[in-house]
Amino acid sequence: MTEPVTVTINRREVSAQPGEMLIKTAQDNGVYIPRFCWHPRMNPVGMCRMCLVEIETPRGPLMVTSCTTPVSDGMTVDTTNPSVKKAQEGVLEFLLINHPLDCPVCDRAGECPLQDQTMAYGPGESRFVEEKRHFEKPIPISELVMLDRERCILCARCTRFSEEISGDPLIEFQERGNYTEVNTFPDEPFRSYFSGNTVQICPVGALTATPYRFRARPWDLTFVVSTCQHCSSGDRINLQSSQNRLLRILGLDSEPTNQGWLSDKCRFGFEYVASPARLTSPMVRDEEGELREASWGEALDYAGGALGEVISRSGGRAVAGLGGARGTNEDAYAFSKFLRSAVGTNSVDCQMDDGLDPRLLSGIVDRARIADLEGAGSILVWGPDLKEEHPTLYLRVRRAAQELGAGLVVIHPRGTGLDDRASVKVTYQPGRGGEVLSELMDGNGRMAEAREVLSNGPVVALLGRPGYGESPDLAEATAAFVRSLPDATILPLARRGNVFGALDMGLSPALLPGRAQRGTLAAQMLADRWGELPAASGRDCRRILEGLESGDIEALVLVGADPVRDVPDGGLARRAFENAGLVVAIDQFLTDSSRMADVVFPAMGFSEVEGTVTNIEGRVLKVNRLTPGPGQSRPDWAILSDLAARLGVDLGLVSAQQISQEVEELADIYRSVNWERLDWEDRDGVVVGGDLGYVPVFSQVTSVSPRSGEMALHYARTMYDDGVMMRESPSLRPLAPGSAAHLHPSDAARLGVGEGDSVDVTSVSGSLQAGVVIDPTLEPGVVYVPFNQPDTPSLGSVLGVKVSR
Amino acid sequence: MVEIRSPSVRRGWSESVRARASEIVKQYPEPRSAVMPLLYLAMAEEGYLTDNGMREVAGAVGLTPAQVRAVASFYTMYKRENPGRYLISCCTSISCMLLGSDEVLRAIEDESDVTAGETDPAELISVEHVECIGACGGAPAVTVNYELIEGMTTEKARELVRWLRTARPEAIVGAECQELFGGRRSFDWGAFDRDSALGPYPAFGPLGTVSGPAGDQEG
Amino acid sequence: MSVRSIVTDRMTRHPSDSHTLDRYLGTGGYRALAKALEMPPDEVTGEVKAANLRGRGGAGFPCGVKWSFLAPAKPAYVVVNGDESEPGTFKDRQLMERDPHQMLEGTIITSYANGANHAFIYIRGEYPRSARRVQQAVEEAYAAGYLGSDILGSGYNLEVTVHLGAGAYICGEETGLLNSLEGRRGEPRLKPPYYPAAKGLYMQPTIVNNVETLANIPWIIENGGEAFAAIGPDGSRGTRLFSISGHVRRPGNYELVMGLTWRELIYDVAGGIPEDRALKCWIPGGASAPWFVPDDHLDLPVTLDDTAKAGSMLGSGAVVIMDETTCTVRATERLVRFFAHESCGQCTPCREGCSWLERILRRIEEGSGREVDVDMLLDISDNISPGLAWPPRMTTICPLGPSAVSPILAITSYFKDELMAHIHQGGCPFD
Repeated sequence: MTEPVTVTINRREVSAQPGEMLIKTAQDNGVYIPRFCWHPRMNPVGMCRMCLVEIETPRGPLMVTSCTTPVSDGMTVDTTNPSVKKAQEGVLEFLLINHPLDCPVCDRAGECPLQDQTMAYGPGESRFVEEKRHFEKPIPISELVMLDRERCILCARCTRFSEEISGDPLIEFQERGNYTEVNTFPDEPFRSYFSGNTVQICPVGALTATPYRFRARPWDLTFVVSTCQHCSSGDRINLQSSQNRLLRILGLDSEPTNQGWLSDKCRFGFEYVASPARLTSPMVRDEEGELREASWGEALDYAGGALGEVISRSGGRAVAGLGGARGTNEDAYAFSKFLRSAVGTNSVDCQMDDGLDPRLLSGIVDRARIADLEGAGSILVWGPDLKEEHPTLYLRVRRAAQELGAGLVVIHPRGTGLDDRASVKVTYQPGRGGEVLSELMDGNGRMAEAREVLSNGPVVALLGRPGYGESPDLAEATAAFVRSLPDATILPLARRGNVFGALDMGLSPALLPGRAQRGTLAAQMLADRWGELPAASGRDCRRILEGLESGDIEALVLVGADPVRDVPDGGLARRAFENAGLVVAIDQFLTDSSRMADVVFPAMGFSEVEGTVTNIEGRVLKVNRLTPGPGQSRPDWAILSDLAARLGVDLGLVSAQQISQEVEELADIYRSVNWERLDWEDRDGVVVGGDLGYVPVFSQVTSVSPRSGEMALHYARTMYDDGVMMRESPSLRPLAPGSAAHLHPSDAARLGVGEGDSVDVTSVSGSLQAGVVIDPTLEPGVVYVPFNQPDTPSLGSVLGVKVSR
Repeated sequence: MVEIRSPSVRRGWSESVRARASEIVKQYPEPRSAVMPLLYLAMAEEGYLTDNGMREVAGAVGLTPAQVRAVASFYTMYKRENPGRYLISCCTSISCMLLGSDEVLRAIEDESDVTAGETDPAELISVEHVECIGACGGAPAVTVNYELIEGMTTEKARELVRWLRTARPEAIVGAECQELFGGRRSFDWGAFDRDSALGPYPAFGPLGTVSGPAGDQEG
Repeated sequence: MSVRSIVTDRMTRHPSDSHTLDRYLGTGGYRALAKALEMPPDEVTGEVKAANLRGRGGAGFPCGVKWSFLAPAKPAYVVVNGDESEPGTFKDRQLMERDPHQMLEGTIITSYANGANHAFIYIRGEYPRSARRVQQAVEEAYAAGYLGSDILGSGYNLEVTVHLGAGAYICGEETGLLNSLEGRRGEPRLKPPYYPAAKGLYMQPTIVNNVETLANIPWIIENGGEAFAAIGPDGSRGTRLFSISGHVRRPGNYELVMGLTWRELIYDVAGGIPEDRALKCWIPGGASAPWFVPDDHLDLPVTLDDTAKAGSMLGSGAVVIMDETTCTVRATERLVRFFAHESCGQCTPCREGCSWLERILRRIEEGSGREVDVDMLLDISDNISPGLAWPPRMTTICPLGPSAVSPILAITSYFKDELMAHIHQGGCPFD
């Protein structure tokens, strides 16, 4: 912070930070200067000219755009004098001469900046008697966005967003002068993961979102502020509904998280909430082996009875729980308490055999905050392609590298969305991560430049699993090395919406609520409240599935998880479910997993329950309800509470808010969390501290190579896949890339295949047919197959696959 | 679901054109600067600027095709619709207008039967009116494939069109056209410039759009 | 009459081969470069400052002062503005076609003085012959050791790239030109903060000079800044190329020492008006300049300052003469059409305003004018250029929009009767 300067705005002295744009200083001091092109999160361009004001200069008053004029000490500004007013009226008249007056049928009407500012600052009438400019209207520029060029006022917000923020400039100004228009390249649609942001920031109705067009009038909408649960960034959103139906999601500008932006998955991936496939009634498997609807009482009796039988026969440790990373902290806490105190098992995992050690994820020493990216000297990204799995985090890293001058090192088996901003990009063959790490540590050869970049502190490292062929130990070993870099902090990556909250609530074998480890004082305090904790150590996801397959685990309680589609080794999960003695599922849909359960309870979910979530940096945020759950659906915690009662245990849970209070009391680190404050003064969330102080351990990660005749498989997720939320969101479902095999051009040539040809990809656990995509960003010998695509079987967590024509 | 225009047929540049393109890119400290010369290269390759050409340019400099089209569509000389072999551009800005350019344009349109902005069905002649081409001292002026003819009259303009139709010159030699059809010049042009334009884009050696001296071809 | 040749001397005396290196060397070419390379760079700048050479592109900014503003960051670039496109202007074309080595030598000296090792010559796309001649000169200069590494054994290196425009007047605006050279749309940049001297080409310090300005540099270095400053009246030193066109007997480019009157320029230099018709008005400095009329301006001296005082500018040196047969509404429509066509489209008042003005003017010319249109023309103009003052104030990013206002001010103040006649007769009285 530098010394503030004094500026006189409309004869009133105000103080401001030097260099700040006048439009912002004025706004912060209650003087609104009209504008269209200026956006607080993008570089100013001064194009619309709406924000003209007059400043005093030695040569008399000078008309300037307040969005491009930095304040300086002693500056005198007039934003309302007659010449300013005339200029503003003039600009508005110019904007309106070619703008169609189709407000009655325009989605933007009622929340349209052009409409509002015309009323506040515009001339009463137009003197334009010529023919307006005409374009074909509206035209689809992608599956999700429609463009009406007649309404466009050429403020360049959308084009700047695409170039400056999301880095995929697929829409641009075309033509010149009075014929200027925004458009795509003729056959290259605006397929950006972030396209919806352009709709949100469009100051007129030029860009509209196909899923929302003509669905509601703004004044009929009901709003609530909440948090997105698709990825773990904790993006703040505004949920909007009409007649109890969720219709739209807008991004909120929350400084620590999404800063106004959303991915299209977050923005449009809510349609599943109102899907007709939602479960509306409990279901029980009948004598014929079919799931049929049942009453709550019947289903609870059935599940409680069967579970009780297993427990009394084989003990609580024969029961396991999977899931809980998709709900709230309160639901996760209830699940944890249910398993540990009513069932008596530590076998629980909210990760789907695709993550990292829970102690690393939520307990690492020197854990980074997202905001650390802003002041970073350099950034290391070695994990999933952030653009695919952590979209708003991707935007933050991009901004740090592009606008704030941080050096960026990206290590990944193929091209990523950040490569164009990376100082150094290292591509490698999956399985050889250990070698790559050794090279990085030595800092020789191709890694010399990377080490040079990473010598600029503070270093922020974002570490996770690049793909499922890679050992989770790699991220931990890398973390151990990174700690030797200057002022290093580490942000371990896991993607599911509330995976960090679920871990904090104890949904992993090793951790109890509040990041407490078994056998500690904190665990003892928990036992005082919960009763005796199960003594035997628990199993993680993979070992639970193996136990189910072998019969060591007899019963599974599933909460909002679909292991059959979601764990890398789908074949193992399927066998586990087939062999399981008893599966009790709490879900919103019949998934490939819950379809195999014995009892299914209909759960409420996103936009239907109130609670808290914890994001990737340990920030607790509020989620709120706007729409009722379908049919007889209930919150997870209530279902678990009733199920516990059938086992003869009173969990003592009466409401989500009461659960939250219980967490506050029990888990030291959650003491600062308060629901009321999270809705108001703490609406940007509260970071829960008190980390475990887990020190990552370096271990030599052995490099593995595929057997001869095989290719190394890079098996990783894409933003759109065949997860049930995507499958049940009609606007997004078609966007999944589908079954594909990306090959390096030399491998394609060797196999004699070209783009679009079909190949067979076969692993020990599965086989699929895929269309070839020529991908020069891969290393030769590597095949990339997107994970969990529609109608595609799982290849398993394997390293080598056979690829043949 | 919304229907999105499907990709057009893609033809790549030949290796030699790609090599030429990378030579041009090397002229500049940053690859993006090569967009404009590469767009001319693309025009010379296909006769006009196709989507395919813009895609190739994008690939050569690391931009999206939309970014390249944004540049191409800003400038009037990148023709995205197939012009004829001879592009007659008639200046109708102030100085030429004062000395009768509107009549010259009408004569060209009438003789060629092509309205300004159009091309004849045989794709031989395109006519356009353009803003000032810097020949005001020799107004009214026209260009054929950007080779200048100053001191035009309506009669000479008709003769020019007839000549293009019948003689169908392989390339346009500006100095020769000036001798055949021109009149008063803005200034003495000096030595006879034998370079000639191969198509409706400027003849400039570094772009490879100029043919050798006309004298050599005749010899 | 004071005619003295600096930049057109060689081409006048050697019409057949003034563009060749042989002729250039035979007439003292590249001596100034050799001299400059022996001087420290800031001494070269000092000579140019002493010459009081003002830019010949339009704005008339003192060249040496511009150089001294260059920020110290490296690399620095020199960009030659050969995007001559202002209607009525054709002087740089002559300099590039007829004496390319002269402007190239000026470019090399300028690059040396400003510590640049890469210069770009941006030539408008409609000037292929200029580009060919300049390219030929560049190749000759490389071969002869005036370009490339270790020029004339001085240790100084310079690369020159000739870049062809593609049809956009706005690229004559220096920041639009830089965007164009970077492979972008030729949209002018915001000033502040993007002054080329600090954040120019690739955001590096950059000198942008007009072709004619640079063509004067070798003479200045060879003869000294003081000798140059001794020519012509104060504030308008040296000679200047005037492009004279329109209704005159002898249109063409004339290199003149400033200070003569407009009467002398039109009647003596350009030979007066054909058939001795009456002079109606003229544009004194390119399409952007407010017009002059005989009653008020014929005996004013032709200098930068006198022209500015009278409410116009010498601009690019283009003088367009209109005689009594001219329909000024049509002339205005044609000029405004130019600016509407060339508007880059990024800022609202220019994009929307220029084409609105053009359409109203065309409507009036075609006979559908209304009396309210006259005030509307002025008020719309006022929304582009508040106060309709000179030099113009702007609601726009660059001066292109306000340029369209100049002819409208001319017809509404000098030729309102003609405008009203169009409106009342429902058509053009000159048809």
